[in-house]
Amino acid sequence: MSDDQHGHHVNYKKIYFILLALLVVSVAGPFVGVVWVTLVTAFGIAVVKANLVIQNFMHLKWEKRLMKWMLGTSLLLMALMLAGVSPDIMNHEGNNWDNLAAKAATERGIDGEHAETTVEGEPGEGVAEAEQGEFSAQTAYNGVCAACHGQSGAGDGPAGMALDPAPANFTDPEFWATRDEQRIVTVIRDGAVAVGGSPLMVPWRSTYSDEQIQALAEYVMTFRPAGQ
Amino acid sequence: MAFAKPQATLRSVTGIPTGRLAVWWVLASEVVIFGGLLGSYLMHRIGHPEWAAAAVHTNVWIGAFNTFVLLTSSFTAVLAHQAAEAGDGKKAARFLTLTIGGALTFLLVKSVEWTIEITHGYTITANMFWSFYYTAAGLHAMHVIAGAVIMGFVAVDAYRGRELQRVELIGIYWHFVDVIWIFLFPLLYIAK
Repeated sequence: MSDDQHGHHVNYKKIYFILLALLVVSVAGPFVGVVWVTLVTAFGIAVVKANLVIQNFMHLKWEKRLMKWMLGTSLLLMALMLAGVSPDIMNHEGNNWDNLAAKAATERGIDGEHAETTVEGEPGEGVAEAEQGEFSAQTAYNGVCAACHGQSGAGDGPAGMALDPAPANFTDPEFWATRDEQRIVTVIRDGAVAVGGSPLMVPWRSTYSDEQIQALAEYVMTFRPAGQ
Repeated sequence: MAFAKPQATLRSVTGIPTGRLAVWWVLASEVVIFGGLLGSYLMHRIGHPEWAAAAVHTNVWIGAFNTFVLLTSSFTAVLAHQAAEAGDGKKAARFLTLTIGGALTFLLVKSVEWTIEITHGYTITANMFWSFYYTAAGLHAMHVIAGAVIMGFVAVDAYRGRELQRVELIGIYWHFVDVIWIFLFPLLYIAK
């Protein structure tokens, strides 16, 4: 204890009871049922409570200015870092990019039934089970494949524009001259490298089951022009 | 003591006692650790409205009770500091023991809460919300454990009237752990 510590008469008991009263308000806030009231009573009060503790219990009020600068710098650097990454985290698309995984997660939502299915099965299996239960080749194609191959299968997806070689065009009769369903299955499962193609078409066997890959291949076959 | 005290503990170039400066320096780095984690959670939460479906499963009453426990333990910690300032090591040790009791209560409640959640299938791998939930609360709980252990050593010394300045130092750390929980509570429990 240094000399500058002597002589402040903080009424700790009073601060403590104010903190408890604020806690009651923050718990009661959501019962009003208005979103902005909840936000104010939750986060506004958290800031007030934290400030009371920091100033009166931690005695920052009486610390030298150096200490406040030190903490302020720390907060500022943190805010700078968060501000820097926030556009990537909070937006799911920009001018030149699409966060397909985040979009798919938002669309899928968090399955309310998932918790119950997990209790029965192995821990952690719930998500996979829920996904399998809802598997649709069209949804999977539009969510994953279409980024490069395009929703219409013409190889004109936004993420495929810059790729070399360009993504396969499933609507091109020439493409089907040398392909059959078995080959499509192989390429989806093991990647195009398995048939001597581009490594940009990555293997999907760890993401989809054999049945799902078969369904995807069948869906890709629907892009084949009539008469081929 | 077999060893002389390092010189750094005796001088104070800044006019702030070195021990206290060191504790604040630790906390300044903790601000970045917890701030980064909680800030990431907040940004993801805003970007993923569907997380609200998972957040409804956290128990606001358990969270509120633990907030009450930590606020109370902060109160006893500051009373310990007051006693140490008055030179009453025994009284300071008693208040520190109460604070450790608060830490143990907090951890006990937390373990019951987690047991209920995990057996209901809300594990750390269930989805991103629960990943953040366990990571943030878990990192905080580790700080509670560390604080309680260090407080035990400080209390034993204080009881014998030794190193009374450390009562304030562990107190500052403890209030910080309290402040983190003050933010975790609305983030994980109230904002549904």
